[in-house]
Amino acid sequence: MVEAQDIPTATTSIVADGQPDSKTRRYDRQLRLWAATGQSALENAHILVISGSATSTSILKNLVLPGVGKFTILDHANVTPEDAGNNFFLEGSSSIGKSRAEEAVRLLGELNDGVVGIADTSNVEELLEKDTSYFTSFTIVIAHNLEPKLLETLATLLWSDDSFPPLVTVRSAGFLAEFFVQFHEHTVVESHSETAPSLRIDKAFPALLDYSLSLDFSAMDPTDHTHIPYVIILVRALEDWKKAHDGKAPQTYHEKKTFKAAVLDLKVKFDEENFDEAESQAYRCWTETGVPSEIATLFQDPRLSSLTPTSPPFFHLLSALQKFTLEHPYTLPLTSTLPDMKASTTSYIHLQKLYKARAEEEKERFKTLLAVPIDDSVVDSFVKNAHALKVLRGRKWGTLDADHSLLINALASSPKQTAIHLSLSALSALTVKQSGDISVEALTAEVRSLLPPSSELPEEFSDAVGEVARAPTADLPNTAALLGGLIAQEVIKVITKQYVPISSYCTIDLVDTWTGVI
Amino acid sequence: MGSQFTDWQGRYYHIDQVLDKPGPRTDPAFLAGDGVKDFLRNQAKILVIGAGGLGCEILANLALTGFKDIHVIDMDTIDISNLNRQFLFRTKDVGKPKATVAAEFIMKRVPGVKVTPYFGKIQDKDDDYYLQFNLVICGLDSVEARRWMNATLVNLVDPENPESLKPLIDGGTEGFKGQARVILPTITSCYECSLDMLNKPTAFPICTIANTPRLPEHCIEWASVLEWPRVKGDKKLDTDDPEHIGWLYTAASARAKEFNIEGVTWSLTQGVVKNIIPAIASTNAIISGKSRTLETTESVDNTHPAAACCNEAFKIATSSAAYLNNYFMLIGTDGVYSYTFEHEKRDDCPVCGGESLELSISSEFTVEQLIELLVEKQDIQIKKPSLSTPTTQIYLQAPPQLEEATRPNLTKKVSELVPPEGEVTVTASTLPFNLSLRVTYT
Ligand SMILES: [Zn+2]
Repeated sequence: MVEAQDIPTATTSIVADGQPDSKTRRYDRQLRLWAATGQSALENAHILVISGSATSTSILKNLVLPGVGKFTILDHANVTPEDAGNNFFLEGSSSIGKSRAEEAVRLLGELNDGVVGIADTSNVEELLEKDTSYFTSFTIVIAHNLEPKLLETLATLLWSDDSFPPLVTVRSAGFLAEFFVQFHEHTVVESHSETAPSLRIDKAFPALLDYSLSLDFSAMDPTDHTHIPYVIILVRALEDWKKAHDGKAPQTYHEKKTFKAAVLDLKVKFDEENFDEAESQAYRCWTETGVPSEIATLFQDPRLSSLTPTSPPFFHLLSALQKFTLEHPYTLPLTSTLPDMKASTTSYIHLQKLYKARAEEEKERFKTLLAVPIDDSVVDSFVKNAHALKVLRGRKWGTLDADHSLLINALASSPKQTAIHLSLSALSALTVKQSGDISVEALTAEVRSLLPPSSELPEEFSDAVGEVARAPTADLPNTAALLGGLIAQEVIKVITKQYVPISSYCTIDLVDTWTGVI
Repeated sequence: MGSQFTDWQGRYYHIDQVLDKPGPRTDPAFLAGDGVKDFLRNQAKILVIGAGGLGCEILANLALTGFKDIHVIDMDTIDISNLNRQFLFRTKDVGKPKATVAAEFIMKRVPGVKVTPYFGKIQDKDDDYYLQFNLVICGLDSVEARRWMNATLVNLVDPENPESLKPLIDGGTEGFKGQARVILPTITSCYECSLDMLNKPTAFPICTIANTPRLPEHCIEWASVLEWPRVKGDKKLDTDDPEHIGWLYTAASARAKEFNIEGVTWSLTQGVVKNIIPAIASTNAIISGKSRTLETTESVDNTHPAAACCNEAFKIATSSAAYLNNYFMLIGTDGVYSYTFEHEKRDDCPVCGGESLELSISSEFTVEQLIELLVEKQDIQIKKPSLSTPTTQIYLQAPPQLEEATRPNLTKKVSELVPPEGEVTVTASTLPFNLSLRVTYT
């Protein structure tokens, strides 16, 4: 429901009677997930997908439908009879011999009039040699089963500057697959966390405290008494408790029990649900509101100590947040979102107003701590999500394979996932070296060459390598569809900067139906 | 089927790699090569329930993997809000039956595949109809329909006839979450066995709606639950009709203004009355069959469930790899997290368990209270139950004469009508089976 309330800000184009326009209706369901801000980021994105394989078109289908701005398929190949059999975005045998990029772009384009598709029949290898700026001009680049040398060149290119686009590498063979998102840094404000921010009952702000003390519970009309919101009950009960206990909140098990009993004792009738609610929420009185440890960790970020006026706004906001938490009452800014609780309309709305007014004051204070001017709507969203901010730091593609100690650790901690990764690495390497049958022996020898001498291969290795040898060049429709769903989802998270994208290798085994990370 | 004309050389190059050879974990009984290909392409007959978000994905994946005789049932027509993920439909198709449009599209795109649509309800079909299939895949968004399908397939099982056991693959999705599961009726845990895993629909107490609204949702509920019937009488509220939503929006806005409540919007109004869980294309692709089970929920589709479902169908039909035992869940809000596990069969499952459900109540409990308890119970999920014992009709919801005749029992104590350890049979129009309770008193 909280998500749904965000939509009005998103849907700007509403016709007279409030009914949304046809674009808003088309995107209704997804707007409930990422709102207008996410949709606008998506519509401004230009995605490059290297190859028009079944997996590539599956990924694109799930980006074209929700309305990505532009996409380019880079593929110089023509459609083979094999391609025509496993790709839904080719028209059977009638596509054979035509440009794979052009056919796929034409058929994907039919899914959404609002999306621009570009077929580029250049050769990836030549482009990588001649025009590197081509690749850095996109929002994000996706490469499926690209040969290792080209993939390495591309990954190195896109890693060479912080401002270059993220790269999604995808490899699959038969029932097995993996993908990886290469990015330097990714910050998330709207992580859509399910954790609610503190109501700060233990550190009641003056207006809240004054209001709860101004009420004379015992002299109240019985109906009003049944409608005192639990927040007020607890603030009051805690204040009374502290007066009798040297200003301290309940600490021991016994004290907590006594406190809860005292809350229930305030009832004038046995069926007053608001007091039951207060009792069940009593833990809020002794759970000290401070800075959550995940957020405190972010204050150690090296970006904060080297802040300049041109640093990304996120870090200026984070720096202001840190300063804010160093002032009384040493918390994050107050939330203005009040959960529903047993209360009358007037008592609830009054409480909501107190929270909103205080949240507004704290936000104004927060703004004075900012070193650079930042748009109000950005500040609003940051303050609202301050309890669930994320900073992710990624790795370059290939870092794992280049470091023996990392590989050994991965084999020990995630054996079956690493077995898939290594088998697919061996396959990419072998495919360039030899043609014809790929044997389990040849793959195993290749894997051994990636590992330090005399490393033990885990038990699960034979399962993975055997599956790869069974279907080394198979782009199975179901595997492609699963990858299409998973990868499009990660790409949307990266582009919209909402939710939390994966920052490790994701491996997939569709024999035993599981996904795992390394 | 004239497959020699459409199966061009190389068409099944990708799929055949896993059909020509076993993998390290493939069952030794797998017969690689022509036999399994012939079964998949010329004999297997598969039924897809639902042609919505998951259904579109499922149909495309099945067709590409080589199933050539596919049937699809769906009772809905295409709405504009389907187009952002149900990729077999175009703007020109709005208003047409989903099953028909989907079938035509697949047949055009994947030559040689026959898709037979049925625009109607699953309840329209009898046992003989369901017996003709090798497999059933469910990509539905309705709990009620899934319970019906599940119970029907469990009841279809005849121990004398192994062919009567039809594997059911069920998919569901919600936002960034998805799931797929394999049900072997009577052998593994069934849909009913896991009913308590469903999220409980959000319900607002009537007194809040009527007297103390606090949230915009309360005002919207008031408009749809109380104000609509008061003003419109017997006229049915159609949540797909923009004029009806507009009316509710106006009414809810006025009420919100009166109570100083902020936040009633058109979008929220539609979300609350249709119980919409957000949907995007990518999750559908993944499970093309996961199970979210809010009743009256507008489906929430992400694509991964569909892929997982079709992969299980392919493995079951070909034995090229072991199938899922028996539940796969995927959550994508924070990274990619999945969980594969065996959901256990419930001995007291009213559909596949065989044992009655034990229910212990106070000897002071009235029939009315028992009915309330049953409606509340998460593992039963029943609306308007009728109760009887082998000798007595305790309370019947219909027909009106019998309702009237049994109504006086509502205020009687259950213990006056049912002996300790006595059996009570519970029926409801929404349940495709009878629920058997054994009542004990405290
Ligand atoms: Zn069962």
